[in-house]
Amino acid sequence: MRLLKTLIPGDIAAGLMLTGKYFGKVFFSANRKKVRAHLKHFTQEYPEIPVRLAPRFRGRLTLLKDEQGEIKCVCCLACEKICPTQVITIEKGKMEGRKMPYPVRYDFEMERCIFCEFCVESCGFDSIILNHQFELAAYNREDFSLGMEGLGQNMFAPSPVGKYSVAED
Amino acid sequence: MPPMTLLQTIAMGLIQIVAVLIVVFIMVPLLTFAERKVIGYAQVRLGATRTAGGRKGFTASLNRGMWAMGKVPVLSFFRGLPVFVADAVKLITKEDIIPAKADRAVFTLAPILSVVAAFGVFSAIAYYPGVMFYMPKSWPLIGGLPFNGAIADVNVGLLFILGLASVGVYGIVLGAWASNSKYPLLGGLRSAAQIVSYEVPLTLSLLPAVILAGTLNFKDMSVILSTGQGMSPLAVIPLFIGFFIYTTCGFAETNRVPFDLPEAETELVAGFHTEYSGMKFGFFYLAEYANMIVVSCLATAFFFGGYYLLPFGLQRIIPASVPFLGHPSFLFFMAKVSLLLFVFIWVRATLPRYRYDQLMDVGWKYLIPLSLVNLFIAAVIRYAF
Repeated sequence: MRLLKTLIPGDIAAGLMLTGKYFGKVFFSANRKKVRAHLKHFTQEYPEIPVRLAPRFRGRLTLLKDEQGEIKCVCCLACEKICPTQVITIEKGKMEGRKMPYPVRYDFEMERCIFCEFCVESCGFDSIILNHQFELAAYNREDFSLGMEGLGQNMFAPSPVGKYSVAED
Repeated sequence: MPPMTLLQTIAMGLIQIVAVLIVVFIMVPLLTFAERKVIGYAQVRLGATRTAGGRKGFTASLNRGMWAMGKVPVLSFFRGLPVFVADAVKLITKEDIIPAKADRAVFTLAPILSVVAAFGVFSAIAYYPGVMFYMPKSWPLIGGLPFNGAIADVNVGLLFILGLASVGVYGIVLGAWASNSKYPLLGGLRSAAQIVSYEVPLTLSLLPAVILAGTLNFKDMSVILSTGQGMSPLAVIPLFIGFFIYTTCGFAETNRVPFDLPEAETELVAGFHTEYSGMKFGFFYLAEYANMIVVSCLATAFFFGGYYLLPFGLQRIIPASVPFLGHPSFLFFMAKVSLLLFVFIWVRATLPRYRYDQLMDVGWKYLIPLSLVNLFIAAVIRYAF
């Protein structure tokens, strides 16, 4: 029986069938542009095609606004207190027609940030989020000091450097 | 037609040699590229898809130009086909290092021996039975001369091929010894033991084909075995078994996975070519892939139907009156060789490496008895039916 099993290599054939199946699947999906959405392979062709990230990917810190365009942050300073590297600095202020305090300044020093997401977890008002942006390199140290003003250093908009990474939600 | 003069014979021979060499030199880099892609696809990834340049020189200026045009500076067309050119260029331009304590003469001789043995075999392989085409009449000296399907139609072609192919192991053993280093030496010893062991079932698995065909000429053997003329229909059985024994031994002869013990990187760094670099390593690489092509050619010609459509002598089902399918064709031969080369890569993507004692077990305990039984079956079929 053992001899017969050795002479007829069924397990080798099974292994070949498995790899052959995967070869066929990837071969017929990877080389056709039309079926890009149903790709069978795990390789991500990053610069040309935006990366598929996990939903919990921790990118750059972003301030959120509500439907009326109001800043959601109420300056409870929970994020500032919990931050292990102390990269967040908030200055409280008052605004007409708004009960809650309003952040006059919300500074974020990204060069020291460790992207631990403690700030987002501590936030009781869902007013900040780590977006899906990972292309955060810059040429000047000043570009890492983010605030509520400016173009390239704006805490509300995704960074203009990231050409290929997904910045939604 | 008048008999060819000496000059004409030499000229035609050179033309044929150059033609075969060009085909092989194109096929080998393509094969390395195919290997990357096929293994990649089988493992649910993409393999090499792009070629990026360096930071200096010609490729760097290309890169800067592409950045200036607003494009990502990688060559990614045809799913990464430029990779095979880059591979070849890298091998040729790399620094060639000879270790200080190495035996310089033997160290240089070894890859040459390997490559010569691998390429010499191509001279006796017939790619088409008879004349492929005639040279144009208007050409001087060689006008109207036949371009044969084989460079040399050797009377005992099979012996020539087997003899020359087994010279290749000298390249590995000599290179391993001349490196003056322990890992190459161990790899070389393993390789010698492995190839000597597997030479026996390899030759024994070809003997049924010789018995059934009754000749040693490569072209005649291939034609008789695939058309099955003068053979019993039962001859399919030994040919079928022989095909599997031969391909298994072929994997071992060419040091391919699952029998690539000479280059088991977990134990022996890179085996016999650890100390080699540059084009000397490229020669070993070239020889390995050329050997793969040779093994595929032999398996195709003797067992897999050769220049005809159907394998294992089943071609008699299709009468010769059928256009194209009933006739021998160079395309059938190349298609079958490509299929077998694909199987080589496919097996590499699937199977892990055998242990050394398992390798010897497979060779001595199973393949040699099996091929002897197969030889007996073939002899019975030849003389009883």
